[in-house]
Amino acid sequence: MSEMNTTDGISVASVLDARGLACPLPIVKARQALAALAPGQVLKVLSTDRGSVKDFQGWAQTAKNVALLAQTTESENGTQIYAHLVRKQA
Amino acid sequence: MSARNVVTKTEWSPADLYRRLELGEQPFVLDVRNRDEFANWKIEGRRELPTVNLPYFEILEESDGQDLSPEAWGRLVRQRLDGQLPADQPVLVVCAKGGTSALVAEGLRTQGFDAVNLEGGTKAWGDHYEIRPVLESPQLTIHQVSRPARGCLSYVVASDGQAVVIDALRHVERYEEFARARGLRITLVLDTHAHADHISGGRALADRVGAPYYLHPYDAIHPIDVLPATLSYRFLGDGQEFTIGSSRLQALHIPGHTLGNVAYLLDGRFLFSGDSIFVESIARPDLGGRADTWAPLHHRSLGRLLGLPDSTRVLPGHFSRLSEAGADGLFAATLGDLRRRNEGLRVAAGSETEFVRYILASLPVFPPQYVDIKRVNVGLTVPDEERSSELELGKNVCALAQAH
Repeated sequence: MSEMNTTDGISVASVLDARGLACPLPIVKARQALAALAPGQVLKVLSTDRGSVKDFQGWAQTAKNVALLAQTTESENGTQIYAHLVRKQA
Repeated sequence: MSARNVVTKTEWSPADLYRRLELGEQPFVLDVRNRDEFANWKIEGRRELPTVNLPYFEILEESDGQDLSPEAWGRLVRQRLDGQLPADQPVLVVCAKGGTSALVAEGLRTQGFDAVNLEGGTKAWGDHYEIRPVLESPQLTIHQVSRPARGCLSYVVASDGQAVVIDALRHVERYEEFARARGLRITLVLDTHAHADHISGGRALADRVGAPYYLHPYDAIHPIDVLPATLSYRFLGDGQEFTIGSSRLQALHIPGHTLGNVAYLLDGRFLFSGDSIFVESIARPDLGGRADTWAPLHHRSLGRLLGLPDSTRVLPGHFSRLSEAGADGLFAATLGDLRRRNEGLRVAAGSETEFVRYILASLPVFPPQYVDIKRVNVGLTVPDEERSSELELGKNVCALAQAH
């Protein structure tokens, strides 16, 4: 887990690098990482799996204590990186 | 459970699944993709398959997050779908790429279910090809090359070692492999029109085999953008003839589905109807955004095709349902047969007014990605593999909606 940083003006408490991981691992690991955070804290998940975009949306709708704050796409050396900002709810 | 002597398969390839669906098997489908993807497109059989959609992240929400062994997945799914999963028939587990579904299938097997994974997921299912002979005579062969999950049909016609490919689909290596295995040289690549529902392989195949690629020039202008094609093609005109070995192929300009829509008549006996006449329906005329002005053209064009003899074998560009296939696995019918049982064609045989009213009342949704796909097919945009695959997700909707 990395130090505090800011994305789109949102304070990120922790970054999960799930790049290169296939479904279902990005969400499996995001759940585990979120469990270690306090309510109100934000986790940033980096994934190279395009399917993760819709899956994080669906997961946030389903899960009781997860809010999806933002999703961004960045290109890094020709590879698309999908970032998901999720906040642990009380 | 009793011991089995045979090793039970734990994965079905798309080809395995297609064979089973053709035989009329009805596996129970557990689809663990998210709800949007499921709503857009699911596995369909000759009849409706018993299907449950349970996104994998909803299964995960039931877990403590620690024990993620296959047994734990299996237990969670069994508890969540208590009583819904059949104990006496296969459960086909499906996801987007085949990874998560493999885990769920393995888990369900630990719970005593006969669960199998769809290898490669819906991605591989959508990219699966079938090749079936329509005619195999010493002078002439015709093969129907399909992507059954998408309802897309294309054709390879060969005579004296020369082959023409009509409406080549995106994975052009399939045609090259087929030609190589049969000692054929692809000398001509034709599209019936600029497709909106799938990415054409026409230009790419023509480049790879060094053959000319033909398209009607009216379809080389994007109908929504009103921009000209940036890929190269040769002009196709009404009545133009091509020679393939000892056979002759004639282009018939039949505007309606598109302005440059063409059908090809082979030796006066086989009609490659593209998107005009399908087995159970007819093509929609609204994908250029002008159903009101294109429907009358469509009526005249269908009238022209209806003038062909009853014995003409119609080989269409699409199907909507697997049940449209005959016992030989082909999506084809004689024109005489279609005159009787194809509702849209019966209406087309009547007045223009009645036809236009029928058409305007039967238009299905206009998938927004169809505008983008057509841009790709005239060279205005060049997508990468992932984007291509995403654009093509789902089954084609090039036919009018059917009441039944």
